[in-house]
Amino acid sequence: MSEKKYFTRMGDGSIIYMTAEEIWEDMRDGMDDAVDRGKIPPLSEEELQKIFDIVTMPGGVVGVNPMDAVVTTSDSGSDKIPTKCGIPISRDATAMIHERVLGCDSVDIGNPDYNYKTAKGIAKREAAMLRLALDKTTIPLYYGAMPNLGFYTKPDGPVDNWAELLPQGKIKEALAAQEEAVKHSVNDILFVAKQTYEVGADAIELDTSGAAGDADFLATLQACEKITKTYPDMPVIIGMSGEFILGMHGRLEYDGQRLAGLYPHKQVKLAEKAGASIFGPVVNTNCSKSFPWNIARVCTFIKATVEASNIPIHADVGMGVCGIPMCENVPADVVTRADKCLIEICRLDGL
Amino acid sequence: MTREEALKLAFDSVVECDEDMARKALAAGDDLGIAPLKLLTEGFGAGIKHLGDLFGRGEIFLPELIFSTEIMQLAAAAIEEKLGDTSTNAKGKMVIGTVEGDVHDIGKGIVAALVKSNGIEVFDLGREVPADVFIEKVKETGANFVGSSALLTSTMTVQKEIEKKLQEAGLRDQVKTMIGGAPVTKRWADRIGADRYCEDASDTVEYILAQLEN
Amino acid sequence: MEAAHSVASSMGGVRTTGDMVMRLQLSKKMRIDEAKRYVADKLGLTLEEICDVVTMSEIREERGFGLGHQEPCTESTMGMEAKFRIAEALDIRINSVERFKRHAGIK
Repeated sequence: MSEKKYFTRMGDGSIIYMTAEEIWEDMRDGMDDAVDRGKIPPLSEEELQKIFDIVTMPGGVVGVNPMDAVVTTSDSGSDKIPTKCGIPISRDATAMIHERVLGCDSVDIGNPDYNYKTAKGIAKREAAMLRLALDKTTIPLYYGAMPNLGFYTKPDGPVDNWAELLPQGKIKEALAAQEEAVKHSVNDILFVAKQTYEVGADAIELDTSGAAGDADFLATLQACEKITKTYPDMPVIIGMSGEFILGMHGRLEYDGQRLAGLYPHKQVKLAEKAGASIFGPVVNTNCSKSFPWNIARVCTFIKATVEASNIPIHADVGMGVCGIPMCENVPADVVTRADKCLIEICRLDGL
Repeated sequence: MTREEALKLAFDSVVECDEDMARKALAAGDDLGIAPLKLLTEGFGAGIKHLGDLFGRGEIFLPELIFSTEIMQLAAAAIEEKLGDTSTNAKGKMVIGTVEGDVHDIGKGIVAALVKSNGIEVFDLGREVPADVFIEKVKETGANFVGSSALLTSTMTVQKEIEKKLQEAGLRDQVKTMIGGAPVTKRWADRIGADRYCEDASDTVEYILAQLEN
Repeated sequence: MEAAHSVASSMGGVRTTGDMVMRLQLSKKMRIDEAKRYVADKLGLTLEEICDVVTMSEIREERGFGLGHQEPCTESTMGMEAKFRIAEALDIRINSVERFKRHAGIK
């Protein structure tokens, strides 16, 4: 008789069937990878067993007990219905849909061109849209966008492109360009924060921080610090873009800590120091590995982050991150299993 | 000094960005009769690969990688002179760019730097590059590798266009195509007929070197 | 994706007290258990009650905390009105409420 095989998926969403032994091997392998890279403790056997039980649960959708439910921050939420789904409705209406139809606990109002450089140029219009939505909704609403430091490089921005300078060996010039871009980014974020605070935003989100490397993360931390000092009752949500900070500069520090190479459990301490209210760590989904491999790895990283943190942790459980496959229409079987693993094993504060 | 020690010296010279050490390794290679290409690939090249792996884990950073590239280039130039031709690099030529409509080039820049540091000639087209420009550059340079990066689901489609235009230009059999970028997957590579989905810069280098060996 | 998260693991926002728990995380940086306890204590409810859709639909309507539906209760408080009541019940400051008061000349 052939051994029982369980339905699961690869990191790119492809369906595969695995035996129990294969699932266990992948889980241990994924966990070991996280332990090795992050220098963090492994999961216990009990925790791995729990992951196995969740991965192999029958049924499409699984869930947590109602009393264990957490709260959600939906980044680029207001963008998805009109832009992704092609349903032409205004962003205040999408906020209401998130509140009344999708059961979200909060949502952001953001621009389809989801970055602070663009938002700065139309900040008052963005604030006006946010204000409209704030009058209609009950759930917390915040303004969200990306620092996206790369947008400040020529020809789209004022500074030289370090991604071109570095391979040319122009190290000094590349580092200087990144440092200059940080200043521009912080100014733009602060300007948008001011406009949105004045119309009553419940928070501001600095999303996919670190996307352009350590300088990008520095811009986020400096902006967060300035926002919380200038507007003490404006919470800041910091969401990450990758599992470690890419060392495009390599020498940038915040509070005496070098930023390049930091993993989530270290990133969160700096976010706390900068005054963030909520931190959203990311663990990259490896498309060539199975869901069991990915989710065990994710849980190892996120558990370490939750334990290290003094502020709420909302793991970024979206396309291509935290175990979710990299595909446009994400399968609910994986999403719900990832959620259940993260909440029951990592004791997450939110998603 | 043994042959193994000479190879280790070459490896260490790249890892520690030490020009003197690199020159000593080259001299030792001569004295011990190590084949120049072996010294390049198993000594210096192994050092760059190791650094690429460390970079992928966040343990070293891009400027350090670039410094090591200079050591690698010094070694490659010295070996080329010894061989009297450019055969160390002649086989490997790569055209790379971020596709049209997409301005994200951080990842592409890292790949270009790491591939170049492994002795492959790289023609970096920059960002927002139309499919036609990739094809023209392949024709112009005789490149045997084409790498395209897309960070948005809306710009990934240009990678499919590149495959199509390579076919139309009769160049498809001449090149190996590699695709990368955050939303890109092996599944997408299979769908559009690309030769390889590359997870990261190290993966790209490993694939290219494996292809050149074959 | 939001729908999948909502079904599997989310408190459901105004369907229960998810929006309120969220506010405590934002404004006071409370972890999930602490935030839930705070909300439960302030509302005089149990943890089970604040997480239950059926219970909270009734309580939210009675106390004017805002709902996700407006039929058959069109006369219930919604939006900004609800946030006034939430701010008072939870003893927290809600930025949009303060802005509304400022602009409307309410002291």
